[in-house]
Amino acid sequence: MSEARCITCGDVAVAATVVVVEGDTAVVDVDGERERVGVELVVPVSVGERLLCHAGIALQRLEGGE
Amino acid sequence: MRFVDEYRSGELAAKLVHELERLVEPGRSVKIMEVCGGHTHTIYKHGIEQLVPEEVDYVHGPGCPVCVIPMGRVDDAIAIAEQPGVIFTTFGDMMRVPGGRGSLLEAKARGADVRMVYSPLDALELARGNPDRKVVFFAIGFETTAPATALTLLRARATEVRNFSVFCNHVTIGPPLRAILDTPGLRLEAFIAPGHVSTVIGTRPYDFIVREYGKPVVVTAFEPIDILHATVMLLRQLRDGRAEVENQYTRVVTRDGNPRALAALDETLELRDTFEWRGLGWIEQSALKLRERFAQWDAEARFELPSARVDDPKACQCGEVLVGAIKPWECKVFGTACTPERPLGTCMVSSEGACAAYYNYGRFTRELARV
Repeated sequence: MSEARCITCGDVAVAATVVVVEGDTAVVDVDGERERVGVELVVPVSVGERLLCHAGIALQRLEGGE
Repeated sequence: MRFVDEYRSGELAAKLVHELERLVEPGRSVKIMEVCGGHTHTIYKHGIEQLVPEEVDYVHGPGCPVCVIPMGRVDDAIAIAEQPGVIFTTFGDMMRVPGGRGSLLEAKARGADVRMVYSPLDALELARGNPDRKVVFFAIGFETTAPATALTLLRARATEVRNFSVFCNHVTIGPPLRAILDTPGLRLEAFIAPGHVSTVIGTRPYDFIVREYGKPVVVTAFEPIDILHATVMLLRQLRDGRAEVENQYTRVVTRDGNPRALAALDETLELRDTFEWRGLGWIEQSALKLRERFAQWDAEARFELPSARVDDPKACQCGEVLVGAIKPWECKVFGTACTPERPLGTCMVSSEGACAAYYNYGRFTRELARV
């Protein structure tokens, strides 16, 4: 979804799956890539949950399949 | 993204286009502003303008944060980056934005330590790893991006990282919309409101558009089906004589947004009295600055800045593009003196900028009108 897109724009928020939770940070999987994101705004999170992430933080929890 | 095909289904698109054909009044143009640069990108990339009835006229709004940064702020950024001992961090797209004294990329070529980051948290990490350097983050973006800055400031305070600061240029979405709505002679009839900004602020902040201006609003996501669906919802409102804030992006957007994100913003940032927007001029209470309690992390307090106002290049018509007065290709320098490789104006820099989006996709999708 984020190909060649500008990070500052809201639409590069991407869906990611939580792989590991380490306090206020989670390792998430975005289309096979691992990233670390701050999760203070959506805690508590658990492994397997889907999060909407942008600029290194999770903005919202995703319900259902997206 | 998983299940993205669902939002790019040709069959569903055809149904929505058919519905649009039923809803338009032949020969009567309906101007709809898509506020967010991400929507502009989708519209051009997927040839949506060529897919919908010709009566539907998308007007590209001011929702590209890179595009609205005035040249003087870029010069301020360069002035900070060129201070001894500074590591200046920025999102990639800001590197090429021209100020009065060139771009950050050119400053880097002259020897300034300018580095690209994906998150302000990366900049904070850089500060931790380089305690003898002053690390500055160039914060830009709407309410989608501002929470990352807020969270970073909270972490900087909690962990007492003193060699980190933020050059804050965050902007808010409501005031420029009001400025556009107050433009004399404006013929916009409806708004597609940004999806991910709304995950943070909710749909409530758009209420004034329906209440005070009587214009329908639909909050939507970024896939082609989302845009088409939002357009159908807007045309239905217009047909029924309704003006409401509707939410097409219920899968992540709520009426109240994310209260934790709003609290983090409120703790760290406050409204500026006024801020200059490229193309729109000075707009009251339209941008954010660090609160006094975060002054030691505020680059504007820690560095001497030229803070000069710089006029846009005369030939550049970004201002008219940003308020929807002209289409990108109607600009005098579009594709000639101004290209994504050598941008004259900011709308040609970011891939969400209307000019760059049209340059990259629009020219080709006119003939390939399909989702």
